[in-house]
Amino acid sequence: MRLPLTLTVNGIAYPLELEPSTTLLRAVREHVGLTGAKEGCDDSECGACMMLLDGRPVNACSYLAHQAEGRAVTTVEGLAAGGDLAPLQQAFLEHGGVQCGFCTPGMLISATALLAKHPNPTEEEVRIGLSGNLCRCTGYDGIVKAVLSLAG
Amino acid sequence: MSATAFVRPDGKEKVTGSGRYAADLDLTGQLHAKLRYADHTHARIVRIDTTRARALPGVLAVLTHEDVPDVRYGMMVKDRRLFAKERVRFEADIVAAVAALTPEIAAEAAALVEVEYEPLAPVSDIEAAAAADAPLIHEEWASYESDDEMGRVGNVLGHSAIVKGDAGGALAAADVVVKNRFLVDASQGAPIEPRAILAQWQGDRVTVWSSTQVPFAARSGIAHVLQIPESNVRVIVPLLGGGFGSKCDFHFEGHVAALARAAGRPVKLVFTREEEFVAPDHRREGMVIELESGARADGTIVARRGRLLLDGGAYCGEGGFFAQMAAMHACGPYELENVDVSSTLVYTNNQPSGSIRAPTAPQVCWAVEQHTDELAAALGLDPIELRRRTLLDEGSVSPTGQVFGKFGIKQTLERAVELIGADVELGDSEAIGVACGWWPSFGGPSGAYVKLNGDGTGTIVTGAQENGSGAVMGLPLLVAAELGMQPGDFSILYQDTDAGPWDGGSSGSQTTFNNGRAVVEAAREVRDKLLELASDKFEIAPEDLELVGGVVRVVGDPTFSVTIAELAGEGTAILGKGSGAVPENPPAEPGDGCLGRLGMESFLEPQLFTHAVRVKVDRETGVVRVLQVAAAHDSGTIVNRIGADGQVYGGVVMGIGQALTEHTQFDVDGRQRNPHLLDYKLATASDVPRIDVDWVENPAENGGPRGSKGVGEPPSVPTAGAIGNAIAKVIRARVCELPMTPERVWAARP
Repeated sequence: MRLPLTLTVNGIAYPLELEPSTTLLRAVREHVGLTGAKEGCDDSECGACMMLLDGRPVNACSYLAHQAEGRAVTTVEGLAAGGDLAPLQQAFLEHGGVQCGFCTPGMLISATALLAKHPNPTEEEVRIGLSGNLCRCTGYDGIVKAVLSLAG
Repeated sequence: MSATAFVRPDGKEKVTGSGRYAADLDLTGQLHAKLRYADHTHARIVRIDTTRARALPGVLAVLTHEDVPDVRYGMMVKDRRLFAKERVRFEADIVAAVAALTPEIAAEAAALVEVEYEPLAPVSDIEAAAAADAPLIHEEWASYESDDEMGRVGNVLGHSAIVKGDAGGALAAADVVVKNRFLVDASQGAPIEPRAILAQWQGDRVTVWSSTQVPFAARSGIAHVLQIPESNVRVIVPLLGGGFGSKCDFHFEGHVAALARAAGRPVKLVFTREEEFVAPDHRREGMVIELESGARADGTIVARRGRLLLDGGAYCGEGGFFAQMAAMHACGPYELENVDVSSTLVYTNNQPSGSIRAPTAPQVCWAVEQHTDELAAALGLDPIELRRRTLLDEGSVSPTGQVFGKFGIKQTLERAVELIGADVELGDSEAIGVACGWWPSFGGPSGAYVKLNGDGTGTIVTGAQENGSGAVMGLPLLVAAELGMQPGDFSILYQDTDAGPWDGGSSGSQTTFNNGRAVVEAAREVRDKLLELASDKFEIAPEDLELVGGVVRVVGDPTFSVTIAELAGEGTAILGKGSGAVPENPPAEPGDGCLGRLGMESFLEPQLFTHAVRVKVDRETGVVRVLQVAAAHDSGTIVNRIGADGQVYGGVVMGIGQALTEHTQFDVDGRQRNPHLLDYKLATASDVPRIDVDWVENPAENGGPRGSKGVGEPPSVPTAGAIGNAIAKVIRARVCELPMTPERVWAARP
């Protein structure tokens, strides 16, 4: 049975009707139409699906869409304000933090949340803060350097 | 151009989420596919009944072997059908496939396919599969189409031997002899993107969007299994979310194309993470590695004897060369006076193995490098000193008779030792370990076009495939340099088999090596045309003209100049094509005892490398933490430093995972016990340390553009061996099973 809800994603309200079991990830990818967040495992292990919920990172594969009603959902598409890349996005590119790019949306969300909470993290804090996001290409080096370049 | 100034052209779409991967694509009228896998790892199929599946509302197609041409496929051995016919041979053998309105209906219908089996004895253990009385995985093996150098006896899929001199006699006369037996578990490429495939027919032609590393192999595979011409198949690869070899070879594109044709609708298949673990015919093979080496007191290695057994799994795929590749690595980049190495690849009822980033090398290197440290200990020599004395050098002759030119491996050894800080004060339970290795460059055909646009920008059309490494993204650096333009002036059209020339795909570290030569040749043709046009314009000989800063100008008189935009905008098609001469493998003179030759007996422009690591071992729990890694590589001239460094960072972290946590655990029947990321542990950012990278750049004489070699695969090769050697120093014992899990480290303590 589909139930109505309004999802607010990147500042835009979307009226939807979804099964109670629909995940936030499926709702955003298939019903809202934003495919930036990825499904890598459906198990909360890889972090490729991460979105911000009122500024807090969640694995959208393991979060129900209906639970997100009334809260501000931010996806990777919402990070570049007015078409300009956010400094973190630019830093990922300049430090070699992007290779295949499949983990990148989740990494950027995690890193955005980390810097919001700890504007001046140590390298160890960055590594721990990103440990919920798996990357198979970069060895994390460029990603960690990119986040540290924005510290302080 | 400085390293950090080069931002990859596909970067912006990747950081904004606007880039499309295969699973992000949808087509009007699209159906969803689900594959029905085998219920046994080894069984005879008695009966398949699809009646109930077909009757489910919302199901538009159900296919079995009866619905597709009765042909076998396989790159090196044609041993597999699209759908299992008489037999299933591993847990993800495909019996049927369904296309339905929703993924849920497709899954329900796939489960409704009734299959009756007569179970057969499964063989998961490698040594059991190699036994003379083992149940046969492929009873018809002798009749399959394949290379004559392959096995064809019992379950032996491939066999290779390297023999030089009299190893037995030399061992008997050696001052010291060490002997080790190593066991290696299977592991996975585990790209973060599970594969997705979308197929749509228009008339007799099918377009397939697939997350493949090898679009041209996918195209020929589809054409073969559906018995249609390649010109009726177009394969497009959207952004590819990593591969590491696991997305090489043709496979599931055939099922999806067949479903789409049967249903008369576009069909999409997206793998779950569990399917991404169990179904691909690509994983790192488990091994049994027995090594015995003898040396004189001065360190000279007088003999190496090796017996290797490799798990090929249920089907060969493109992994048929693994026996020979493993044999080459069992010798390693060392001076060996006498050699007797025998390597055997066997069929089992496990998931098929196939190329994963430098196939066979990380496992064998892990064993050989630990064995080398054992030899050093027996000799009372420092392990680094033993390597200084025994590594190959310029003028050395390999056990297969290859004579080497400039050979930078000792430079990588010294550089890695320097980077790790050999005199660093070690903390409690810490030690430094070192490992060296080699890996060939692969020459192959490749092609590209370069065309100029009317505004003076350009487009590179290449057959090469970008897997994320940045190899295709770096092509504009090469083209721009030939034409006096900027890399940012070029767009790149790639990953469409109808557009670019044939290419071997993103495999074998070969994209810059081969396609780099191709784009340079294409750019030179464009350059010649520009010079010709400007020559006509100025009535000056082409050799007196040069391309600089987006203009063609007269050498020594910059007042005579014309912009590339003006020349290209005059309506003359300015198009260059290139393929580049393929470097041939260097000659080798393997002795009479050398068998199973599939082209690996000599290494073209070998990439050479040393990793040094510092680890800390918790003696109470067996937990190992890697504190520091130094990686020194000779990959010839480095064309794109930020891209090359990225390969090393990523490869080292994959190597740390393979060393300590990553293994696919098969039960006795060959079923995977941990096909998910909860129990198959990839290293996270907090598990890995700072990594220092440096390059010893000896230009390759017979290599890629500017004297480059391959780059991408070797970084994952020596890390585990270096970690093993460091662990052994701390616990004063060898961990002889890979991965070196806490339990195994704990149990190995004296």
